[in-house]
This record gives sequence, structure tokens and C-alpha cells, in this order.
Amino acid sequence: MAVKPKLIKERVPTPEKPVEERIKSFVEVNLGYDFASALKEAERCIQCPPEYAPCIKGCPVHINIPGFLKALRENADNPDEAVKNALRVIWNDNTLPAVTGRVCPQEDQCEAPCVMGKVGDPINIGKLERFVADYARERGIDQELLEEFIAESNRKVKVAVVGAGPAGLTCALELAKMGYKVTIFEALHEAGGVLMYGIPEFRLPKDILKTELEKLEKLGVEVKTNYIVGKTVTIEELLQEYDAVFIGTGAGTPKLLNIPGILLDRIYSANEFLTRVNLMKAYLFPEYDTPIAVGKKVIVIGAGNTAMDAARSALRLGAEVTIAYRRGREDMTARVEEIGHAEEEGVKFEFFLTPVEFIGDENGKVKAVKFEKMRPLEERDRRGKRKIVGTGEYVTLEADTVIIAIGLEPNRILVEASGFKANPDGTLIVDENLMTSIPGVFAGGDAIRGEATVILAMGDGKKAAKAIDEYIRGKKANA
Amino acid sequence: MYRITAKEELDVRDFFMEVEAPHVAKAWKPGQFVVLMIHKRGERIPMSIYYADRETGRLGMFIRRHGKTTFDLWDNFDVGDSLYAVAGPLGMPIEVKYYGNVVFVSDAVCGQAENYATLKAMKEAGNYTISIQTFEDKAHSYPEKFLAKPVADEHYLTTEDGSRGIKGHYLDVLRELIEKDKVDIVFGGGKLGSLKKLAELTREYGIPTIVTVRQIMVDGTGMCGSCRILYDGEIKFACRDGPMFDAHKVDWDDVIRRDSRFVREQEIAKKHYLESRGVV
Ligand SMILES: Cc1cc2nc3c(=O)[nH]c(=O)nc-3n(C[C@H](O)[C@H](O)[C@H](O)COP(=O)(O)OP(=O)(O)OC[C@H]3O[C@@H](n4cnc5c(N)ncnc54)[C@H](O)[C@@H]3O)c2cc1C
Ligand SMILES: Cc1cc2nc3c(=O)[nH]c(=O)nc-3n(C[C@H](O)[C@H](O)[C@H](O)COP(=O)(O)OP(=O)(O)OC[C@H]3O[C@@H](n4cnc5c(N)ncnc54)[C@H](O)[C@@H]3O)c2cc1C
Ligand code: SF4
Ligand code: FES
Repeated sequence: MAVKPKLIKERVPTPEKPVEERIKSFVEVNLGYDFASALKEAERCIQCPPEYAPCIKGCPVHINIPGFLKALRENADNPDEAVKNALRVIWNDNTLPAVTGRVCPQEDQCEAPCVMGKVGDPINIGKLERFVADYARERGIDQELLEEFIAESNRKVKVAVVGAGPAGLTCALELAKMGYKVTIFEALHEAGGVLMYGIPEFRLPKDILKTELEKLEKLGVEVKTNYIVGKTVTIEELLQEYDAVFIGTGAGTPKLLNIPGILLDRIYSANEFLTRVNLMKAYLFPEYDTPIAVGKKVIVIGAGNTAMDAARSALRLGAEVTIAYRRGREDMTARVEEIGHAEEEGVKFEFFLTPVEFIGDENGKVKAVKFEKMRPLEERDRRGKRKIVGTGEYVTLEADTVIIAIGLEPNRILVEASGFKANPDGTLIVDENLMTSIPGVFAGGDAIRGEATVILAMGDGKKAAKAIDEYIRGKKANA
Repeated sequence: MYRITAKEELDVRDFFMEVEAPHVAKAWKPGQFVVLMIHKRGERIPMSIYYADRETGRLGMFIRRHGKTTFDLWDNFDVGDSLYAVAGPLGMPIEVKYYGNVVFVSDAVCGQAENYATLKAMKEAGNYTISIQTFEDKAHSYPEKFLAKPVADEHYLTTEDGSRGIKGHYLDVLRELIEKDKVDIVFGGGKLGSLKKLAELTREYGIPTIVTVRQIMVDGTGMCGSCRILYDGEIKFACRDGPMFDAHKVDWDDVIRRDSRFVREQEIAKKHYLESRGVV
């Protein structure tokens, strides 16, 4: 081993677009590392042995983090080689690093237990992962590397994947690497799932996502868009043509508040608002045909990533935005970086407020929201959050637009059409191999977890790909 | 890509279009709709189906030149061109079974398409079928070959000004039918305001009534909540739970109001489009 490096406590920062500039457009906020600064940050890692490196344990798909940081450092004088080796290490566990490097809640995962966090800042693993992916893409290194992953033998065994979100994409890519002939069926006109329709460009530019998606084609995966499984084609029909099926349909149905005034104009679910803005590019209306109507005073209800994305999008459309949350600041579920960005950009926060009524004007447009003030208790719920109770006191906040971001549940189309065993909330029931109640049909991601994260969905996709491979081998062996 | 295989003017405002979309044609059932995007920058717009041919994989539609998207479609897309997206079939199929005397009424473009499609299925299921098709006047009425006449046991064509067929609205003809004969169920599509009146009329006589609830949609799959309606006191999504609902349980005033949510933006889009074409 080399000489023990000196501990550098502070992170090498990544530059960001200045606030005044970024709130006028949808361009990406964080600008990422260049090679020199990435290297400097990577050098802070003390290289805990992979067997017990806490960062690896903290990563839901167990990326070999010290391994990819080492690869960067070993070829300091040959950046292209360094990045290629680092990317190879990452791809072993995660095929969409440009995405996860941008959207994972690293502070709760790999960076939370990082040893360096005990003495200073944890290693900026997320931004380094992003750097490797971005640099490789910009220099075409990922294309070269892809050649290594293209399977030699095509076993001509067909697998169908339903839904082109992170779960489905990962499952498809893993199966394609193993040599299966994979077809993805996607309901919308573009692949990507939430990455495409939910997460805005200023966090995940669509061009970057599209380049990640080009891997599918390179690995021979066919994507059939405009296919709604359960409507256009049934699971039974898929099982006749394919040896196995993976369901990665996500949790796309918005929960709405069952309170008076919910049908008023300019009350959107976050999904409608974000789909109009991101997928349909309403922020470029009328150059793009889909409209969005946003007033001057927007209230966003909720405090997850969805709420932050909606709030920051509304801000960029020219509104003054307040996030109203029924719990306290420390209970917010969004990524820390996004909460920080929202605050910097001027989003206001109101805590301990539960909406009880939407008040409309004479034209049926929303003009205010009535809230009940809440109070926290010491007692905690299942997820470790403080319970809250109403105080019987009310406040009314003016708003000409409201966006509801209180959660999502799985779309019932598929469950109803196919007779899967499901939980009352619509999540599919699976066994330890992620197989559903229908033999040969596997599932993962938000479809089985309810609202979760990109990396957990990808982890499921990968695990299911292994299980599908075993299932098919078993079936062939018995045949 | 989804190739256009036929296009024909129906009247001064509506046109017929046939598109190749075998994946939809194969699975479509009466009551279901599709979502189109004419090009990559386009809006996702729902359309009713006039027929779906499993053999040829083609879908027939009646389309009204309403605003930006439908103007663009009429002006710039001809036979041989392709649409960017055709997704479906979406929504719940209607229950096709024996009801007895079935009436389908309509007074606007999507109702006219379904009038044909639904009655055809009902007739095949052994029902006695009656069609009432209303147009504003002669210039806004369809050629004979696009009417539901050939599939219906009884067919009434009305215009509101009496310039073709019977003078009056389907509501007038329906009331007469109900008074003189037994009507077991009414299906309807078309203008929302008329559907509200239809609901009031049939409620008076206790006749079950199923109608298409048009709502502004985005995805059409139950993912966005744009199409939500109040139905029997509960929130339902028109695209996923409908689009056909029991007319007596729909809160019509809300449905009608929500249909005009984007009027301002629709006007901007139309103006922008016409300007780009040098029309304005
Ligand atoms: C606005 C927003 C911001 C978020 N931000 C973050 C973040 O910063 N970090 C993070 O880790 N997580 C974030 N999440 C959560 C994360 O996006 C999800 O957990 C993840 O996308 C789930 O992946 P999935 O593949 O299971 O489903 P999805 O991404 O939901 O994809 C499902 C796909 O299946 C398609 N589909 C559905 N039904 C059918 C059908 N019947 N037939 C065919 N196709 C179908 C859908 O159209 C969709 O493309 C966010 C979520 C939202 C909504
Ligand atoms: C279930 C269903 C079936 C339909 N069937 C037909 C049909 O068979 N033929 C036909 O011509 N039209 C049909 N429509 C309406 C059709 O979707 C609209 O005509 C189309 O969206 C108009 O777009 P535009 O840009 O040309 O006009 P715009 O100027 O955008 O709108 C004109 C009017 O169309 C309606 N509309 C606009 N956007 C949408 C949208 N995204 N979703 C739903 N309605 C919208 C509104 O009532 C609006 O006032 C149907 C709608 C629904 C919901
Ligand atoms: S825990 Fe931190 S210091 Fe240890 S290997 Fe992982 S990134 Fe490096
Ligand atoms: S159109 Fe999005 S839920 Fe119905």
C-alpha cells in the first residue's frame, strides 16, 4: 500500500448555477466536477477494505465505491483510462450512474456511514459517480465499454418487461447482458418512467437520460411505447409469447385530498403538473402544444422530492411558491440537496399545516386554502416520524394555484385486468425471488414497494433479472 | 409510427381519419378510446373510435377541428403521413349484453363516432337498436355513409334548425320515443350540456343512462388526475374508471366547468398556430 495519505476534512465543492440565473430556466443547477477536482475528492477516500467498507453496505445495490474511486486515482495521468476503469466497476452493479449520481439520496445511503464523515465531510460519492458517467458519455468512453457487455450468445429466449422506469430498464439491461431477447412495453410515448415525466430537467436533463437509454438499443432491447399492458395486451398474452415477464409499472396514481373544493380549477396533482411541464414541455408552450395554467401565488402541499420538484418548477414559471407541510422541518422526506436548492431559490416553507378546504372564486378557480394547525407529539409512527394532532385552530393562505404532492400509489389497471394478488394499497405481492402470484411473472420497484427510490427500483430490477434467469434455466431443465 | 390510411371531410368542421395502429385495433372494445400525438411537440389528445378493424389493424375516427392540434392534423397530415403516437385502447369497455330496446343519442363529433360503434355491438348482442343523431344544420351534418343508419333498427336524423331530417334536438325525439314506447337503456355522447339535460330527462322516467364524460386528459391511463370527476360523491378518473358513466351519478356542473379550464391557453395556442401558418 502507498503512503498513508493525509486526511483532508473538507469536500471539494461542485460549482452550481447562480440562483438568479437558474430560476429563469430549466437548465441543470449543479454543474458537477471536472477531472482534476474529481480526482482531488476521490483522493480523500481512505480506501476501507471492500469487505467492510460502510459505503458499500449503505448503497442499496452495493456499488464497489472504494473500487471505482481507486480506479480513478490509479490512472491520474490518463483520465480516459481512469474513467473507463471506474465506469466498469460501477456498471457491474448499476447501469444508470448518470441518473443515480444525480437523484439518489446519498446522504441517507452510501455517504451516511462513510468513515470520513466521522472526522469531516463524507466523500462526495454521488457527485463522483455522476462525474464518471458524464465524463464517459461526453468522451464516448461508455460506448467503447458497452461493447464488452454485449452478450455473445443470443439464447433466443424471450422476456417481456412491463414499464420503462428504473426497475424495468435495469431488469431489461441485466437480462440483455445475459443474452436474453428482451422487449419492454411502455404505456407512455417515451421510456424513462418518473425519470422522464416526473423529475425536472434542472435536476436530470433529458438529453442525459436519453443517452443512458440508448444503451437499450445497443444491447438489443426492443422498446414498444404506447402499449398499456392490461389494455393493449394482457399478461396472459405476454406469457404465451415470452418465457417470463417482469412488472415495473411503478406507483403512478396520485393520491388526492378528499376535502371540499378538490375539483376547483388550478388545483393540480403533482403528477399532472410535472407531466405537463416535463414530459410535455409545457414550459415551452406554445412552441410545444400542451398548456399549463399557473398563477402568481402557488401553494404546494407535501414535502417529498415530488413537492420540491413541483415547487421549483412553479417558481421557474414565474410564481411565488410556498410549500405547506403537515409535519415539521426535520420530517421532510426530500433529498437534502433539493430542500437546500428550493430554499436558496426562494421557495417559502410553512410547517404543521394540514389542508382542510380549498376555497374558490365565483369562476370556480381556487383562491385560498384553509389549513388546520397541527402539533407534534413525542410518540413516533412506523417510519420514525413524530405523530401529529390537530389543534382546532385554523389559518387561511391565499393561493391562485395549488399543487398536491402527498403521495402516489400503484395504478390499478394492471392488477384489475390480470388478477394479481395485491395489498390493499395496490402494491403487488411477491415472494423472496420477486415472483408475483402468477408463475413466471416477477415484479419490482414502486409497483411492489409503493413510493420508494430510483436505486431501490434498480436493485429490484437486477435481483429480478437473476431470478428470471434461474427460473428460465429451471424451466428448460425440466422441459 | 402510425400511418394515415384515409382522410375525408365529413362537414365544414369535422373529418374522418383512418390510422394504422394494429396493437390498438386488436384489443379495442366499444366504449374505449385512444390517445393520439400528432408529432413530438404535440399534446396528447383523446379520441373516440368509429371502428377498429382487427384484420387491417386500422382505426376509424371522427375528428372536429377545435383548436391547435386538430387544425394542425387537418392541415398538415395526409394519407401516407404518420402520427407520432397512438396509445390504447384506454378506458373501460361498456357492458355489451342484451338490454332490450337500446337507444344511442348524440349531437357532437365524439358521440357520432360512438353512436355507430356502440350500436353495432349492441345490435350484435340481440338488442333492438335506435339511433338519434343530431346536427346543428345541414352544413354541419355528415354524409349518409357515415351515419349510424345501417347498423340501427331505427334511425333518426335531426337538425336543430330543421334544414335536414327532423327539426329538433335528440332530446325532443327521445322524449317522444319514451312516451310512446319502452326504452330500456340510453347511451349517449356529445356535448356535455346536452348530456346533463339528458340525465335530467331519463331520471324523470327512471331509465338507465350511460354517457361518455369528456374531461381534459393528459396521459389517459390514470396517472395524472387531470380527468378527475365527482361521481356519486366520490372522485373518479374519467380515463381509467370511465369514460362511460351512469349519467345520473355525475356532477355535471363541475364537469362542464372543468372542460373550460384551459380556454385562455387554448386560444393562445390556436392564435400562435394560425400566425405560424400566415393565416392571421
Ligand atoms: C417527482 C418525483 C421526484 C422523485 N425524485 C426522486 C429522487 O430524487 N431520488 C429518488 O431516488 N427517487 C425519486 N423519486 C422516486 C422514484 O422516481 C421512483 O421510486 C422510481 O422511479 C420507481 O421506479 P419504477 O421503475 O418502479 O417506476 P416508474 O419510474 O414509475 O416507472 C414505471 C413505468 O411503467 C409505466 N407503466 C405503468 N403502468 C403500465 C402498464 N400497465 N403498461 C405499460 N407500462 C406501464 C409507466 O408509464 C412508467 O414509465 C421521485 C418520484 C417523483 C414522482
Ligand atoms: C374520451 C374522449 C373522447 C373524445 N372523442 C373525440 C372524438 O371522437 N372526436 C373529436 O373531435 N374530439 C374528441 N374528444 C375531444 C378531443 O380530445 C379534443 O377535441 C382535442 O383535445 C382538441 O384539441 P385541440 O388542440 O384541437 O383544441 P383545443 O383548443 O385544445 O381544445 C378544444 C376543446 O377540446 C377539449 N380538449 C382540449 N384538450 C383536451 C385534452 N387534452 N383532453 C380532452 N379534451 C380536450 C376541450 O373541451 C376544449 O375546450 C374526446 C375527448 C375525450 C375526453
Ligand atoms: S466509507 Fe468513505 S472513506 Fe471508506 S471507502 Fe467508502 S467512500 Fe472511502
Ligand atoms: S388523464 Fe391522467 S388520470 Fe386521466
